[in-house]
Amino acid sequence: MVTGATAPGKKSLQTTLEISRAVKAYYGGVQAAKQEGKPIVWSYGLIPREIFHAVGAPVIYLEHLPLLISTKQLSGHYCEIAEEEGFSRDVCAFHRCFIGCAAEEEKHPYLAKFWAPPDLIVASNLPCMSESKSFLYAANHFNCPYFFIDAPINIWGKEIPDYAVEYYAGQLGEALDFLGGYGYRLDWAKLKEAVALSRRLVYLWQEIDGYRKAIPAPMGVVDGLTCAFPLIQLPGTKFGVELYERLRDEIKERVENKIGVLEEEKLRLLWMGVPPFYNVGLLNYPEQYGAIVVKSFVEYLAGGAFDPAIMDPEKPLESLATKALVDIVNPTYKNMIDFDVQIAKDFSIDGQIALVKRSCGLIPAALRLVKDAVYQEVGIPTTIFDLDGMDLREYDDAATKANIDAFIETLLASKRRG
Amino acid sequence: MNTIDTMRDTLHNPEQLVADWKAQGKKIVGYRCIYVPEEIIWAAGMWPYPIFGTPEAITQADSYFQPCTCEFIRNIFDHALDGKFNFLDGLVLCNTCDAVRHLYDMWITYIKVPDCHIINNPQKMYDESGYKYYCVELKRFKSEMENLSGNGISDESLQSAINLHNQTRGLLKELYSLRKKDPPLISGGEALDIVMASMLMPKDKCNQQLQQLIAEVKTRESPKTRGPRILITGSIIDDPTLIQLVEEVGGVVVADDLCTTTKYFWQEVGQNKDPLDALSRYNTERCLCSCMHPPERRFDYLWELIEEFGANGVIYFNLKYCHPFLYEAALFREKLAAKDIPTLILEVDHSLSGLGQLRTRIQAFIEML
Repeated sequence: MVTGATAPGKKSLQTTLEISRAVKAYYGGVQAAKQEGKPIVWSYGLIPREIFHAVGAPVIYLEHLPLLISTKQLSGHYCEIAEEEGFSRDVCAFHRCFIGCAAEEEKHPYLAKFWAPPDLIVASNLPCMSESKSFLYAANHFNCPYFFIDAPINIWGKEIPDYAVEYYAGQLGEALDFLGGYGYRLDWAKLKEAVALSRRLVYLWQEIDGYRKAIPAPMGVVDGLTCAFPLIQLPGTKFGVELYERLRDEIKERVENKIGVLEEEKLRLLWMGVPPFYNVGLLNYPEQYGAIVVKSFVEYLAGGAFDPAIMDPEKPLESLATKALVDIVNPTYKNMIDFDVQIAKDFSIDGQIALVKRSCGLIPAALRLVKDAVYQEVGIPTTIFDLDGMDLREYDDAATKANIDAFIETLLASKRRG
Repeated sequence: MNTIDTMRDTLHNPEQLVADWKAQGKKIVGYRCIYVPEEIIWAAGMWPYPIFGTPEAITQADSYFQPCTCEFIRNIFDHALDGKFNFLDGLVLCNTCDAVRHLYDMWITYIKVPDCHIINNPQKMYDESGYKYYCVELKRFKSEMENLSGNGISDESLQSAINLHNQTRGLLKELYSLRKKDPPLISGGEALDIVMASMLMPKDKCNQQLQQLIAEVKTRESPKTRGPRILITGSIIDDPTLIQLVEEVGGVVVADDLCTTTKYFWQEVGQNKDPLDALSRYNTERCLCSCMHPPERRFDYLWELIEEFGANGVIYFNLKYCHPFLYEAALFREKLAAKDIPTLILEVDHSLSGLGQLRTRIQAFIEML
């Protein structure tokens, strides 16, 4: 139920605007490729994107399309279409939204800006069952071939054993063979270059993150969400690296000149779970209390939270396999929890806001573990409440703000008491 | 007491069996999911003990899991918190759905004892690279079970365990053949109880009882009532209430494609010089759970059951928040409709709340057939 107005988020950086334009240009490029008769690939954001860039395949990522749709408050409409197709309201709203986009007969003008139907699909089960299953609708609906990459879960932590890397890397090779069958021939030199560029991108991301730890925070989460785009969709490209070099320079300058989003920071917050993409302005809501949401965990969901030194361009498939399997969202939860604790420490976080997206099979079950770990190891509290960041129909503005109000007031009172 | 009642009694009151086993100084290893190779646990001298839920309401687990996590898993965790599984010496899970993976995280954090293990099986089946990967993973698991039991597992002991478990599978399949008759000689509710009891019991005891049971069932008089022949597929069912409901309103449940029924026993482990290799092959080429790929194989297996048991309609049972089955429900309905098999999709919680509404929907479906 919608009980309040939605609002766009406030951005602080010039590079963010440039990245927003890059997003539009990206989809423009996909549509142009379609018109030229190139096969369009649909895939997911945790499959190593470098393989697509290396072979020049135009790709639509099935988690990103719903995100764009949601910023225009259209996600509920598309979820409804999926429900009419027989999908339960309990399955992931991201996936329902993309299924709705696929099923809609006459595309909405906003969707039409990003839309290109698939000719082939590369799918995977990383990190959840929704990822593992939702593409089947598209494969059936568009009658297009697919290749499925099976990702072992990560029960090992940061060191992935050779047999698991070999298994995943072998499937990446098979995926490249599959793409090759549609004209996207692999040039190993390009793949090695993509891995080198991807590694460079992550180093830059982590350098930027280093600046973001400064007090006052030089950029908030609204900028952060947009700025995650290159990390998610452009790893392995020169353009992604160039964008992050500019972002790094801009943010470095802000830190050196002590320019923060807020003049006086009373509280620094961490956002765990999916932010309301239909109401990004909610991320600015705490600012009226002098509280800033410094980081959103979502920024790390498709890479950026691992040691880039594990990537060796001379072993491109093994590097990409390791990168995928150590991703913090690959179950089990150990890496995710450890990383959340680390962010809380590094970013001088005072409190964590954790959201339950009811239709998500992955994050909600982690929240008690995350809450306990962060409290035990960093001593900060976490508030947990329901908020589906994708399906606007599930959003209750008044209840959401009441939860945030209560949490911030408690944190402020606690700070006053010292 | 006839054999079926004896088996039911064991299923619902296994305490004496547990006590007898423990009195021999032997260990019991709980497991969740049919992809855990029981044979390895048995060959190590331990009792592989399947973990089922109960119809009881959840009390403590909801402060650990969010309510949008599968209620079956929350139910199991609730019992872990209240000490129901304290008699276990180990727990083995495997890489299936999101909720089972999360159960592992919760267990190692909040339960700790007994030791919890997870088999990182592939989810892409009928695939040579997945099979090779799984061979390594099973060796790791075998070594873990050797450590837990303190017993080595020889090829001979593993082959013997495979033979014993294959015998159970064969007997259950023989029993199921009696459901092909019109009307069948055992009900759907009975079949569920028998398979679950067979999963639970040590197989040497189980096989004796299954042989007796088959002999008893064969002497039964054929039931007089006939009705539409129903196959039930979908998420786990560990309580016969829903199946009994179908039968109460006139349906005849003749087959089931569930991990507590046919998926458990439909195929046998093949013969191979290397028994561990035979288990690897079996577990990567058996009938598939919805968590596994490719779904086309799962549909083929479902269709084989529909034809073999002469089903007229399918009830697709979906536990709330059981995502893999929820995604496939619409696709399977479409495929079945193309073959003129009507499907009723039910989305129900584990505690089966709203039974009255369920009854009405099922009754309408049976009448339509």
